[in-house]
Amino acid sequence: MKLNIEGLLVYFPYDYIYPEQYSYMLELKRTLDAKGHGVLEMPSGTGKTISLLSLIIAYQRAFPLEVTKLIYCSRTVPEIEKVIEELRKLMEFYSKETGESNNFLALALSSRKNLCIHPEILHANIVVYSYHYLLDPKIADLVSKELAKKSVVVFDEAHNIDNVCIDSMSVNITRRTLDRCQNNVDTLQNTIHKIKETDAAKLREEYRRLVEGLKEANVARETDIYLANPVLPDEILQEAVPGTIRTAEHFVGFLRRFLEYLKSRLRVQHVVQESAPQFLKDIFDKVCIDRKPLRFCAERLQSLLRTLEIADIADFSAVTLISNFATLVSTYSQGFTIIIEPFEDRTPTIANPVLHFSCMDPSIAIKPVFQRFQSVIITSGTLSPLDIYPRILDFRPVTMASFTMTLARTCLCPLIVGRGNDQVALSSKFETREDFAVIRNYGNLLLEMSAIVPDGIVAFFTSYVYMENIVASWYEQGILENIQRNKLIFIETQDAAETSMALEKYQEACENGRGAILLSVARGKVSEGIDFVHHFGRAVIMFGVPYVYTQSRILKARLEYLRDQFQIRENDFLTFDAMRHAAQCVGRAIRGKTDYGLMIFADKRYARADKRGKLPRWIQEHINDGSLNLTVDEAVQLAKHFLRQMAQPFRQEDQLGLSLLTLEQLQSEEMLQKITQIAHQT
Amino acid sequence: MDEEPERAKRWEGGYERTWEVLKEDESGSLKATVEEILFQSKRKRVIESHEQVRLGMMRHLYVVIDCSRSMEDQDLKPNRLTSTLKLMEAFVDEYFDQNPISQVGIITTKNKRAEKLTDLSGNPKKHIAALKKAVDTVCVGEPSLYNSLNQALQSLKHMPGHTSREILIILSSLTTCDPANIYELIKTLKSLKVRVSVIGLSAEVRVCTVLTRETGGLYHVILDESHFKELLMMHVKPPPASSSSECSLIRMGFPQHTVAALTDQDAKPSFSMSHLDSSSGPGLSLGGYFCPQCHAKYTELPVECKVCGLTLVSAPHLARSFHHLFPLQAFVESPLEELQGDRYCQACQGELKDKSIFTCTSCHSVFCVECDVFIHDTLHCCPCCIHSQVTPL
Repeated sequence: MKLNIEGLLVYFPYDYIYPEQYSYMLELKRTLDAKGHGVLEMPSGTGKTISLLSLIIAYQRAFPLEVTKLIYCSRTVPEIEKVIEELRKLMEFYSKETGESNNFLALALSSRKNLCIHPEILHANIVVYSYHYLLDPKIADLVSKELAKKSVVVFDEAHNIDNVCIDSMSVNITRRTLDRCQNNVDTLQNTIHKIKETDAAKLREEYRRLVEGLKEANVARETDIYLANPVLPDEILQEAVPGTIRTAEHFVGFLRRFLEYLKSRLRVQHVVQESAPQFLKDIFDKVCIDRKPLRFCAERLQSLLRTLEIADIADFSAVTLISNFATLVSTYSQGFTIIIEPFEDRTPTIANPVLHFSCMDPSIAIKPVFQRFQSVIITSGTLSPLDIYPRILDFRPVTMASFTMTLARTCLCPLIVGRGNDQVALSSKFETREDFAVIRNYGNLLLEMSAIVPDGIVAFFTSYVYMENIVASWYEQGILENIQRNKLIFIETQDAAETSMALEKYQEACENGRGAILLSVARGKVSEGIDFVHHFGRAVIMFGVPYVYTQSRILKARLEYLRDQFQIRENDFLTFDAMRHAAQCVGRAIRGKTDYGLMIFADKRYARADKRGKLPRWIQEHINDGSLNLTVDEAVQLAKHFLRQMAQPFRQEDQLGLSLLTLEQLQSEEMLQKITQIAHQT
Repeated sequence: MDEEPERAKRWEGGYERTWEVLKEDESGSLKATVEEILFQSKRKRVIESHEQVRLGMMRHLYVVIDCSRSMEDQDLKPNRLTSTLKLMEAFVDEYFDQNPISQVGIITTKNKRAEKLTDLSGNPKKHIAALKKAVDTVCVGEPSLYNSLNQALQSLKHMPGHTSREILIILSSLTTCDPANIYELIKTLKSLKVRVSVIGLSAEVRVCTVLTRETGGLYHVILDESHFKELLMMHVKPPPASSSSECSLIRMGFPQHTVAALTDQDAKPSFSMSHLDSSSGPGLSLGGYFCPQCHAKYTELPVECKVCGLTLVSAPHLARSFHHLFPLQAFVESPLEELQGDRYCQACQGELKDKSIFTCTSCHSVFCVECDVFIHDTLHCCPCCIHSQVTPL
């Protein structure tokens, strides 16, 4: 259908549209008009992707000078493929409606097998790729730096974007890294020797270029051709590479010294935490390495690798990592912390020293993106509370909106189970974690649910350790045996192969009517990437509140930083983080309007306003006051009733006019009124 | 005292939120109630069933009753099993009333096994007796869909092509314990044109959705006991015959009921053929139906002659199956505002309150939706049309 969105003609490749899609496009258009950034939350399964694509492409066609390119970032390869599929549909619709052949070029960077190196791709109108191509400085440099300023950047499934940013800027160095680095340096040395004998002119040429400085890069940045690389600070570009590392041999020597220093740092017996300036002072005292050459390390290495004409960069990942670390540590005095741990917390007897150079400020990595592109859209099914993202990513959005899901029938049923049948309060909090009564009641909840929920149930625990304890206890109490009469039980483990095997068998059991339960962990592989559509997830049970492991030093440092820099209290951030993971977990079950599922929050703390208020609006509005502190029995009765209601025949006609609209219905005055209520501004 | 002990006491039942059932959608039409959708579908069913389609009049139906552990659940009073068996009795009665020349068999499944309770036969008494006896069954273990379907299939596949082959499963459990891949069996069922329908007592199970979709059956889940009854009675009506089913002329015998006069000295009491194998039932009698072909005696019709294989029916039986072939025309739906004159339903004399009314196409009488459903489901003829025919007297 063809839509008119505030004067913009949008081609929408389907005959029906959800009201919230219309509302979403409206907000999106306003964001683009204002040339600002936006944060938009809309439940999964309501057609975010196609709304985004249709509107932005329509915008591009209407105002080719305002918006030249769409950069669509998604997280995983299957998601990228889904986007491409939708895009294809849209393009077909365009050529059918307008009759002209398609002059839009779209490019997807997914994996090497789909790689195309035709120069024309530089002029693609739409680019679809993974987050890392834009955020990770190591890759962004290769792929994204030539993207035009007048692009619209979309981060889909962006609820974890701060962690992606942090990961892309953090460096972990182990003994293994250093050993491999040592080998790299040796190889470099040998190659330099060889070249010196055969082609000394090449090295001289490089030297001359370095004297000239990195002028080229600077010119490029000033004239606005490239996306800024956050690893490469502005000042470096105006200076020449310092003399100490200008010749190739000197640089290799420098690397060796740096390497030896790192090795000595890893030989610690106790945990060390220090800031970047402390580290720089120490390195100067011990091995006389100045801040300045360190800062040029990354750039110098690139230059050397180019000069030596080394094709396979992958072999040199270790030395690249170290040199990136050197540049980062000497560039940013704030926002980073260095923690050296001699062993892991869980295995204090095994020496496994790690140097964490950890980024605490996600805004560092994403800053160039916000600065460079005129519109950046952050969107996901779960972004609540919306206002925290602009704060931790340090940007000012022009629109922030949360959309609900309009439903012809209430197909999600969130229940907060706070008590067992014996009135024992259910909670995974530290004090009651080992409590026998709580564990038994949790077991009872799962047992009762396994008897009334058809096909698949997914249960999430807060951590692997907690899951192991509980399952062991259930086994002793004979609860597992009873559950197995109703359904098979599968468990997610830290081993990826084992987990995917369990997942496959789980789906098989759901498919052939035996029924299955998948026990998994919030923040694990299952909770993030895998959808449990329809019968694969008729109920999700969240045992406890999935707080992050708060004793980790990296987390503590980050919390401190957030408090000092952004005035976000530790508790607020922890709750926010726990609730977004809980929302992610329970959101796995509902992947569209024809789907239905129970969402059971088994912890009395969910009833509190500070927790409940951080759930996405589309879940929150279905939690009524009556279902805040249920006992297991009450929950079972509600669930039974819900499942029976949902099993009644449900056809497309029932949705029409309510949650699914034709063009005429959309244009009615009454509906437009309703649509304005869907978007919830903050 | 007759009814009361059967019902569980209020406090023995599960926790119910009775107030929520009463809730109307307060937040406007965004939250359309499931009930309304159901009402619409009820009406739709009436319309759909009255399109001129060929219906299979000779049916062979196996009813599979789940007798697994979950049948002891008390959400149907007094428990699922008793409630189901009671409804089944009504179903069997109604079934033979509407489909006199059809047959039924009953299979139970529990403890991963399937057992035949009764074989396919056209004798309602035998089934009802078996159902009455089954009330005392102990419900244990899991049901097995595969075994039950297989069991039913073994007899159904030998049925002639012009008859329908149907299986109706009443499934309470949400799990099934199968010895082999059920999807293979579904393929077999499909190729043998067996139509499988399922009535779920607790929730929607994926494998049943697939099973019914593939074989062209219906899948419903009950809301409460009255809904259960409604769903069960839906299966009384014969399903549309698939276009590929064979058409053939069937030889039928129409035996007269003859009773030898007691004064007749030559008359000798004799056994009925149908009672030969069962020890129960009446023994010797004087009268009965005699097969026109081989003169075997039967006390009840319809039946297939054990001696010569002829189908024996009585003319009224055939006539009763007839309304399936010439159903009553669907009534025309129109909004209440358009109605001139008295706003009373011609059938129940109640005031018309619903948004829409229904008008008979031939006599233009007006009915409410309940009566419309009743007329089409049960009466099969418009009361006002008949009334107008009678008036000249």
